[in-house]
Amino acid sequence: MSGVRAVRISIESACEKQVQEVGLDGTETYLQPLSMSQNLARLAQRIDFSQGSGSDDDDAPADGDAHDWAGTGAGPGAEQDEDEGLVKFQPSLWPWDSVRNNLRNSLTEMCVLYDVLSIVRDKKFMTLDPVSQDALPPKQTLQLISKKKSLAGAAQILLKGAERLTKSVTENQENKLQRDFNSELLRLRQHWKLRKVGDKILGDLSYRSAGSLFPHHGTFEVIKNTDVDLDKKIPEDYCPLDVQIPSDLEGSAYIKVSIQKQSPDIGDLGTVNLFKRPLLKSKPGSPHWQTKLEAAQNVLLCKEIFAQLSREAVQIKSQIPHIVVKNQILSQPFPNLQLSISLCHSSNDKKSQKSTTEKQSPEDHLYVLEHNLHLLIREFHKQTLSSIMMPHPASLPFGHKRMRLSGPQAFDKNEISSIQSTEGLLEKIIKQAKHIFLRSRAAATIDSLASRIEDPQIQAHWSNISDVYESSVKVLITSQGYEQICKSIQLQLNIGVEQIRVVHRDGRVVTLSHQEQELQDFLLSQMSQHQVHAVQQLAKVMGWQVLSFSNHVGLGPIESIGNASAITVASPSGDYAISVRNGPESGSKIMVQFPRNQCKDLPKSDVLQDSKWNHLRGPFKEVEWNKMEGRNFVYKMELLMSALSPCLL
Amino acid sequence: MHITMLKDLGPPAWGKLHEQWGGAAGQSGKLMYVMHNSEHPLSCFALFENGPCLIADTNFDVLMVKLKGFFQSAKASKIETRGTRYQYCDFLVKVGTVTMGPSARGISVEVEYGPCVVASDCWNLLLEFLQSFLGSHTPGAPAVFGNRHDMVYGPADTMVQYMELFNKIRKQQQLPVAGIR
Repeated sequence: MSGVRAVRISIESACEKQVQEVGLDGTETYLQPLSMSQNLARLAQRIDFSQGSGSDDDDAPADGDAHDWAGTGAGPGAEQDEDEGLVKFQPSLWPWDSVRNNLRNSLTEMCVLYDVLSIVRDKKFMTLDPVSQDALPPKQTLQLISKKKSLAGAAQILLKGAERLTKSVTENQENKLQRDFNSELLRLRQHWKLRKVGDKILGDLSYRSAGSLFPHHGTFEVIKNTDVDLDKKIPEDYCPLDVQIPSDLEGSAYIKVSIQKQSPDIGDLGTVNLFKRPLLKSKPGSPHWQTKLEAAQNVLLCKEIFAQLSREAVQIKSQIPHIVVKNQILSQPFPNLQLSISLCHSSNDKKSQKSTTEKQSPEDHLYVLEHNLHLLIREFHKQTLSSIMMPHPASLPFGHKRMRLSGPQAFDKNEISSIQSTEGLLEKIIKQAKHIFLRSRAAATIDSLASRIEDPQIQAHWSNISDVYESSVKVLITSQGYEQICKSIQLQLNIGVEQIRVVHRDGRVVTLSHQEQELQDFLLSQMSQHQVHAVQQLAKVMGWQVLSFSNHVGLGPIESIGNASAITVASPSGDYAISVRNGPESGSKIMVQFPRNQCKDLPKSDVLQDSKWNHLRGPFKEVEWNKMEGRNFVYKMELLMSALSPCLL
Repeated sequence: MHITMLKDLGPPAWGKLHEQWGGAAGQSGKLMYVMHNSEHPLSCFALFENGPCLIADTNFDVLMVKLKGFFQSAKASKIETRGTRYQYCDFLVKVGTVTMGPSARGISVEVEYGPCVVASDCWNLLLEFLQSFLGSHTPGAPAVFGNRHDMVYGPADTMVQYMELFNKIRKQQQLPVAGIR
């Protein structure tokens, strides 16, 4: 132990003050340590002055110098001494004594342990020898058995759960066949709005919640299908639920829009046959009530469209009034043309099925317009729910938001009309029909001209992008084989609702009316101008000089369509000149001017005395153009030009 | 120079209706005028003599009927002027006959210059235009322009002018020279 280094130990005394109370939030209130006077008083109380003793050792109270009686062990220990007659007061007993003793003992023991361990590590004088133990008894079987048991327990639980699942699956499959009324009702509710009134279940198939203002109620009733014989086998398409739709919505309906050339007699009006269109194939999985309700909703929508159209036909004033007869609306967009919009509603009675043998001509139907009618009425529905209409004060009628301000802000007529959209459904459809008709007629005119006339070829490139009210086509007039040279006639036609606007390549704008004859005449005149333009371009290529050129000559016979054009070109050497006059009706006239010395029948005159004057060009001779070689006009012209410009060797 | 009649703005006729309502008995007898103008078909104007002018919805008439207890209609009230409306470029000229009941009382001519909203800027132009066809009968500047030359002109000012005109005609006896303003 003498060689052991001193070990520093830090000691902190325990809580010096006794805890009087622990508050609810954990704070501790301590007992204040006794002051010196209090301590003295306490000690004095313990002194029994009545029992005197030999030693007047009153050092005890004097020992109350500023000493905290640290360590509760030391305190009572000292007190006990005093209680025993206060004789033995060992001055060497200071509060940390016991602690120091304990520490010293533990240090001693630790040193001994350290020594033993160091000796044992050497293994020279002492070794550690483990105590031999008996072999463990064979627990493997036990383990196996216990594991088996626990696994069996887990398997049991899983099997129970699986059993339950299979039971429910088989139950479902059984129930599929015998469908429950309630589950079917649930499926119905997923598609349609239902409400319970009394003991009846009613549904709503109108478009009122989507913004429609049609006054039809559109309610259907859901009834339980109880007429099934439980003894017999349940049929495949058995459904425990049935819907009853209002009688005027039964069957199927569609709106037919067609354009006819001539107006029929007044007596024939209103006799549009109710064709039974083949029923739309419903989705394979949908139940029969779904198809029934959808068909009824379609009938309702068609009725609404027709009601709106007929109301507008009667109210709106137009130049040619519209006729509304039974289920047909007739109007005349163009003279000699009739547009008929009819509501074809075929109910499912046996009577009407007999009349289904009539064929409907497929060209009659303008499916695009029928589709557009549906779209337009849906747009109208959406407008009533849009933010410019809703929400509206209860005291005002349905209308645009800004109309509510028209009174207090004194709007004048211009401002009011700019807010209200003036076009109704009927006007829009008529405009669309006009455009479709005008476009198809323009296409037919161009195609007929293209097939009829071969010499200048006419090409039409229709634009893919078009509006409901406007389409455009680019028309090119070219000569075969000379497309690169003669491309001066390029026309852009904008087909509108009532007229066609033609923009020429050189910037001229011509407005044509809806008459097809105007377009045809215009194209013919352009074709004749093309020929002359082609000669001009050809002359540039061939080196011939253009002496004169006119798009609209004022001489010669008057053309009934457009004007004749003329051009005169001279050969490079100046010897010959070709003069061309081309008119849409009169055709082409080509004359060639020869030099004077090549003409035999010239009258001699005294004026020309020099022979050099004979080299000038003299009289004209006409060319028989139809006997000329060449497959088209420009080719012939090229041949003529090359024939008249001799090669100089 | 030609004056064209509007064809596509509906019927070329126009009209102004003027009713008079008096205050309840016992009060100072303030008069309120209720006027309608076909130029602003969805509005109703209510004005006091030198006071404010209210521009309201056409439901105001219904409201006046309901307030019958507080107002009473002054006798011989309704004055109307009806006529044709001409538009000459930016000028709007309305010539009408003023009738009170069955009898005609005079002729009213209204000229409006569309592009300008500040009175002081275009008074001279209007004066020149008026002189071209009214000659010696051209009136002076209206009182409405009086002290508010640079304020923006509004439909209420038109109605104030009409109110003054109608009052003037009302005070006249029958068969006078037609009062033109």
